[in-house]
Amino acid sequence: MIPKGLEKQLNILDFSLSSLWRRKLKNISIMLVFALVIFLLGSFQMLTGALTQSADAVLRNTPEITIQKMSAGRQEAIPLSYEEKLRSIFGIRAIIPRVWGYYFDESNLANFTILALDTTSMPSGNQLDRTLSYGHFPKLTEPGTALLGGSVHEILGLGKRRVFSLFRPDLSLKSFEVVGLFSGQTDLLTSDLIVMNLDDARDLFAMAPNMATDLCLYVANPAEIETIAKKIAGLLPDTRVLTKSQIQKTYQVVFSWRSGFASICLLTALVAFVILAWDKASGLSPEEKREIGILKILGWETADILAIRFWESTLVSILAFIIGCTAAYMHVAFFDASLLKPVMVGWSVIHPPFKLLPSLKLADLLLIFSFSVLPYLGATVIPAWRCSTVPPDSVIR
Amino acid sequence: MRPSNILLIIILFFLLLDSALYLHASRLQATLRSDHAVQAIAVAGLGLTDLCVATEARYTRHPALSDAMAPFMDHPGAIEHFPSGSFWAAPADKNVR
Repeated sequence: MIPKGLEKQLNILDFSLSSLWRRKLKNISIMLVFALVIFLLGSFQMLTGALTQSADAVLRNTPEITIQKMSAGRQEAIPLSYEEKLRSIFGIRAIIPRVWGYYFDESNLANFTILALDTTSMPSGNQLDRTLSYGHFPKLTEPGTALLGGSVHEILGLGKRRVFSLFRPDLSLKSFEVVGLFSGQTDLLTSDLIVMNLDDARDLFAMAPNMATDLCLYVANPAEIETIAKKIAGLLPDTRVLTKSQIQKTYQVVFSWRSGFASICLLTALVAFVILAWDKASGLSPEEKREIGILKILGWETADILAIRFWESTLVSILAFIIGCTAAYMHVAFFDASLLKPVMVGWSVIHPPFKLLPSLKLADLLLIFSFSVLPYLGATVIPAWRCSTVPPDSVIR
Repeated sequence: MRPSNILLIIILFFLLLDSALYLHASRLQATLRSDHAVQAIAVAGLGLTDLCVATEARYTRHPALSDAMAPFMDHPGAIEHFPSGSFWAAPADKNVR
């Protein structure tokens, strides 16, 4: 036995559904456009949220302090003699010079990241073999060896070949033997990496033996990172000192509504809803007005007519919300966010596979909900209320 | 059949679909957790600072190590022209040189 109040609402719901179905072309079109806008907003939010979460999960062990030498506003190689100056600061546990940079492969138009450092002095350096699908890291006793990221191996088209060459700045060739490949599990970090010995990297970049690209510092007491960073900035005024917390903060804000693409998405959505609201608020069609007039003559109350309009708008907007959010999840989880990825990677030739868990936070869903469903409800119910309060005979005539 | 019953069937369909997606998310989360453990070793052992998402420009490959002016450093009056730049917001800490 259904309670009377619920039975009445069910009947109103039936009437609303029939009414929606009578104008199915218009209502289905509105719902699909509505779902598309929600899909776009949802996809962006889920993709960027997933990247932020991944960064948060994996970038906890970045170097505690990174020191880069600056000249004329640009980063340049740092002399290894700076290590001696740094040793005067109490609390520094280890200083590890790194040589790294970018290599543009003209035949494939791809940018690779070259990285060289003494991995045995790094934290977890003895576990690094777990990140490989086969092989080992280049050893100090093995000059001319390299370890490749998945995309590099693929783009160079090595197949089963083990030797490849890169150009030095003077266009002479330097050959490398592949001694290992990064596992697909680390693609999000290492896809474009070529790891090699320090001497090989200096030779490839034509860098002097007493120079490095930057210095990684580890301190004895992590609570003193900021204090030591300030001391370093005072001691070496021509350097930029980056702390672990600054690096971690980058990914908390780098994908946000403030970025250009996100602003465009948001503005598009807002414009779409403003047009929709303007169309709805500018008044009901004569047919809709006549329908309301007839219902009032038949004895329907204003509250009942508002209930119909409320059900209609709720159904259209909630269904669009569910379709949009479900499609956004599937887009990010199963299709690698293929509609957003071309914008995100731009002209990059290396397209690392995104194995990401779409971020679904209640706050994000509520934001999309309040941007989409609530304005639509307001924009449809208010004109219906205005119309249902006028005398029915004046509407029918 | 009442129209509300058809609506109920549609809602049940989405409920089932979203439940399946929830299960998928739970399984994916477990896989990613083991991936993150391996990635954390790579980060610690190699001193990595950034995700390999966009490799076209140095400031999108390594935003954590780039400064705010990096996109405009090609020449005096240069404008930022890489497509991926539109996806990235300004760096977090503007006080960093």
